[in-house]
Amino acid sequence: MTCTLGEVKNRADFIIYWGGNPAECHPRHFTKYTIMQKGKFVPNRKARTMVLVDIRETPSAKASDIFLQITPGKDFEVITTLRALVKGQRVNLDLVAETGLTIEQLQDLVDRMKKARFGVLFFGMGLSMTRGKHMNSAAVLALAAEMNAFTKFVAMPMRGHGNVTGADVVLRYTTGYPFGINMCRGYPRFNPGEFSTVDLLVRGDNDAALILGADPGATMPQPGIDHLARIPTIVLDPKVTHTSRLSRVHITTAATGISAPGTVYRMDEIPLPLRPPLKSPYPSDEEVIRRIHQAVAKRPGWRPTLNGKAMR
Amino acid sequence: MSLNVVKNATCTFCGCVCDDIELHADDERIVETKRACSLGESWFKNHTAERLYPDALIDGKPATVDEAVEAAADYLYQANMPLVYGLSNVTCEAQREAVSLAETIGGVIDSHTSL
Repeated sequence: MTCTLGEVKNRADFIIYWGGNPAECHPRHFTKYTIMQKGKFVPNRKARTMVLVDIRETPSAKASDIFLQITPGKDFEVITTLRALVKGQRVNLDLVAETGLTIEQLQDLVDRMKKARFGVLFFGMGLSMTRGKHMNSAAVLALAAEMNAFTKFVAMPMRGHGNVTGADVVLRYTTGYPFGINMCRGYPRFNPGEFSTVDLLVRGDNDAALILGADPGATMPQPGIDHLARIPTIVLDPKVTHTSRLSRVHITTAATGISAPGTVYRMDEIPLPLRPPLKSPYPSDEEVIRRIHQAVAKRPGWRPTLNGKAMR
Repeated sequence: MSLNVVKNATCTFCGCVCDDIELHADDERIVETKRACSLGESWFKNHTAERLYPDALIDGKPATVDEAVEAAADYLYQANMPLVYGLSNVTCEAQREAVSLAETIGGVIDSHTSL
């Protein structure tokens, strides 16, 4: 259950940021979409309540009305407790104590959530990339869905890199799945954990890699980087990156939005056109991939195989 | 010297994708980024239209784009399970081309979402 940032700006009177630090990572999120905006139905900052949930007091805490500091790795327990309190169920106080919060703090949060006219929960990588991972995201989405028995409530992920939302959208409408898609049988198969990059590389399953719009050589776990160095890796990037240095082929491309035009999705899945001010001496990523595709297509046709035999 | 002014330019540094930035640029670089945050300003000013890097590198040695495209096509064609990864800082148009390529080479396609 989600909405656009325009709806948040005009309607949200209760805003939770969970496991994210917008003051430093999305500096204009407060001023453009949430607490600092004058909305149609929320006239000023006082009309909105902002709660920050995190494991440490980040600079975003200064902007919050309520800051809840939880024990690292206890996000799932906190969300589950909130879901129980929302439904008026009993909770185990010993387990609540382990989360770093008191039952009074959690009950107060639930009361405020229910009293809100329009609540929104933004969750960041502090929630979705720590212990529990996608289970945490699922729990937060369930909490937001269940809150709709009482009031309007939505959840939205705080997406990091520029067009990572666009990658989800494009993969969804072309293959039916959002990420981690294997087409080696000629049709798309989706299985996170099996076909997600870190798992594939750490297991050493891939025998070539094409990297574009990313620098895994700087961000992946070391066994994954070691495998990228072992296999033929091809990098398309506006700069010579860490990954370029361990690759066999690097092609310099124009920088997205600065010297390459196109479309990019905002975190609420609104597509926006780019207006690049510069002309690059390098080709765009789009053009280079198309040329690689044309060069591959000139070679004899490929058929999917299973255990060395052609599949019908 | 007259500057090229782009109103309502879009910043692709973070997921906010602010589309109200005013950019002032000469032929080579962006000199002014109105309304951009500190992250957006360094993003726009760090990328120029200068030729700072070779067109392409094969095994660390400068090469032409044509040679690099052929080499890339060879590696991807010969692989049994090639990986196409990243897609975060490219346009949707480039992402569509990447999906199409991944289908032709029978590979895995994945983005930062899976991390």
